[in-house]
Amino acid sequence: MGRSRHLLVAAGLAAAVMSTGAALTYYEGALPTTLNPLYAAKMVDYRAQELVFDRLWYHSPINNELESRLVEEWKMAEAGKAIKLTVKSGVKWHDGKPLTADDICFTVNAILDGGTPSPIAEGYRDILAGCSVDGRNVAMVRFTRVVHNPRERLGFAVLPEHSFDGNTAISPDLEFSARPLGTGPMKGSRGTRGVTFHAYPNGHHAAQVGQMQLQESGDPLLAIKALINNSVQGIIEVAPNFRADVSASDELALKSYDLRSWWFVAINTKKTPLDDRRVRQALNFMLDRTELREKSIGVKPGERNSPCEFISGPFVPSSPYYNRAVPAVEHSDISQAEALLKEAGMDQVGGRWNFRGQPVSFRMGMEKSLDNEAPDILSYISNQFEAAGIGSQVYKIPPDKWTTEAITGHLTDYDLLVGKWSFGQVEDVNELFYTRSRGKGTRNIFNYGNSDVDRLLAQYDAAKTDTAARDAYHKLHRKLAEDLPYLFLWKLDTKSAWRTEVKGNTIAPYFYFTQFDSWKYDG
Amino acid sequence: MKRWWAQPLVRLVVAVGLPLAVPAIITLLIWALPGDPASRICPGDCTGVDGLAERWNLDQGPIHFYTTWISDAFRGEFGNSWQVVTGTPIRELLLPALPRTVILIVLAMVPLFLASALAGLGWVPRKLDPLFQAIGLVPAMVPALVVYALVFLAFGAAVDADAQAIRIKMLAGALILGIADGALSGAITGTRSLFDNERKQQYVLVAQLRGEGVLSNMLPNVAGALVGQLRARMLHLLSGAVIVEALLRIDGLGDFLWRATIQQDFGLVLATATAFALVSSVILACQALVEIVVAWHQRRAPVVSPGVA
Repeated sequence: MGRSRHLLVAAGLAAAVMSTGAALTYYEGALPTTLNPLYAAKMVDYRAQELVFDRLWYHSPINNELESRLVEEWKMAEAGKAIKLTVKSGVKWHDGKPLTADDICFTVNAILDGGTPSPIAEGYRDILAGCSVDGRNVAMVRFTRVVHNPRERLGFAVLPEHSFDGNTAISPDLEFSARPLGTGPMKGSRGTRGVTFHAYPNGHHAAQVGQMQLQESGDPLLAIKALINNSVQGIIEVAPNFRADVSASDELALKSYDLRSWWFVAINTKKTPLDDRRVRQALNFMLDRTELREKSIGVKPGERNSPCEFISGPFVPSSPYYNRAVPAVEHSDISQAEALLKEAGMDQVGGRWNFRGQPVSFRMGMEKSLDNEAPDILSYISNQFEAAGIGSQVYKIPPDKWTTEAITGHLTDYDLLVGKWSFGQVEDVNELFYTRSRGKGTRNIFNYGNSDVDRLLAQYDAAKTDTAARDAYHKLHRKLAEDLPYLFLWKLDTKSAWRTEVKGNTIAPYFYFTQFDSWKYDG
Repeated sequence: MKRWWAQPLVRLVVAVGLPLAVPAIITLLIWALPGDPASRICPGDCTGVDGLAERWNLDQGPIHFYTTWISDAFRGEFGNSWQVVTGTPIRELLLPALPRTVILIVLAMVPLFLASALAGLGWVPRKLDPLFQAIGLVPAMVPALVVYALVFLAFGAAVDADAQAIRIKMLAGALILGIADGALSGAITGTRSLFDNERKQQYVLVAQLRGEGVLSNMLPNVAGALVGQLRARMLHLLSGAVIVEALLRIDGLGDFLWRATIQQDFGLVLATATAFALVSSVILACQALVEIVVAWHQRRAPVVSPGVA
């Protein structure tokens, strides 16, 4: 009896795998740190977790509308400070148990629990106030204040209460981080050399790829060879210098991947002479972004559909918050830079700018991994400053140090830091520019402070409509373009490469696999 | 001769103490590094690490951490990996890793055993020594990188999963360990010089005159030194295994130790380093046992009164 039951189970599993297609392997630059969505730290984490979990609300990559795979219906309540939602029936966790309103409230409570030391949870604590269950399928999620975009703010992945025995203090080293239970299209398991995903047919998902393997790519040349030889079927990020090889092959397709990221040079406004706005403006005019983009990323002059678009403020150009009335600086204007530096009290001796009798030289740093996307960008920026008469010493900063020291405002011995920010569902830049105090400005790199900027950020926080939020950020954009705590560079997409046997592979901005149900692999 | 037991006893005491001392040293290192231990080892960038410090026994100082870790380790409980494979029980990582590393070392010992035996018997021509020494100058990482590239080209993305690819990596890794970094040349010259020196002893000459076997006479006297050399070579191989496993991506103790150290996954560092210490202790205990057997054998030999010989 037992044996025949085992046979039946095995046959069922085999049939399930066969009906959902063949195995697919793809390369990431690194393995995910964790599969627990509360502890995602890198883009690879978000991408892998998107396969395993459903976020409560997400932007459809097809029409950019806010949609939910978990919520049947919703309505605002308590004068706009709560949202009442009904959970869809038929949604199952990867162990077969049904999703209920308890799981929604458990996730909210885990986010709010101070014993969950998650930076992602901390980001939600300012906005979420609590959650209560009203019957098996109805949950009421409460906010701390009325917000203009309540559903957008509920973009967290839902966690299963039963996996944690109801304990809302979630530690990052739980086994859940390696073998999570989600409601997403794939069941994932982290191994020592990769992550294995298996399709999990569900009421709201029907993945057509039966099995998938995420591996670390290592050497980029070997990775491209493996793709050409069909040893792997996809590479998430192809370095600029290998894109021509991919384009040249009929069996490979190069696809744009919008990282929702923008690049900047942060300026230490606390140090002399960078505390003078005119000096910052002069640096802005010294940079020839067109040349930088051409040399580092390989964008040719006049190239259409370039993955790199110049920006003049802290948003990607497709964002509703981007103020198109503020022009981006595309070319250098050395004469204007010189005029500003002279106005700021500098003089030029032998082609080198001096301030108070001392030659001006800046200590510049950059997050090391950015070199993969824009090779030698730090050297090119340094060369442009050198050519304009400003000295510089350049340093590459390891990613860990960037996370623990640069973002937290501890690398104040630097004058300039080259970096990038990526935003998923909510483009909230308040933490980057608020004056650091009382829990605000947690990602303010050089502890920049400006009362006008703080006022505009507060306006955004208090906005109750989309229009009010947009107005506040448009003004902020203009203010920052004048005051220049950052030199805004560009929005930079990257390119993925997939074999042509992989079809229907819509790539969602930032989260990548949001539309995974449409992916097919005829391998 | 009177205190023949002293040296084996010291070795046995060290063998027992080593697995306790290694985690103690690592614990001290964790506290010696700048910053709060809990926040330094937290996966990602955690906020408010007080709860984590308590969960990981880091909240009451190094002695509490060490004693708790040791008592858990005796029960086979090492907690979960903090960084390398976040959330995976360390025991699950170590159980398959330990036999992999032991097999690698044992396979690497094969060429060393053969070379030592041939050198001891005087069958390895001295004029080949420069060749062995030249081979020994090659650092293990060079052939390891070449082998990995070749295996990758043959197996592609399956290089870490395909059973045949893993077998090839293990065999190649063992060969590299056994030959590179002066392992082979050291074994040949070390064993040969040991036997050469012993051959000059008067008792060997007497044995030869009596028509007795030279080797059977020499072996009890050189056994201790031979085992000592063997232990040194195994320790050499153990440290080499870290490089070879890391470069060939073999999921052994050495690779985990390397990755855990780089990523400051101290829970895994503690467990792998202790596992290495245990292997080293077993070798040390074996050496002590051989010394005891040899001493016992020598004490059983008839006492020759002066003038008889």
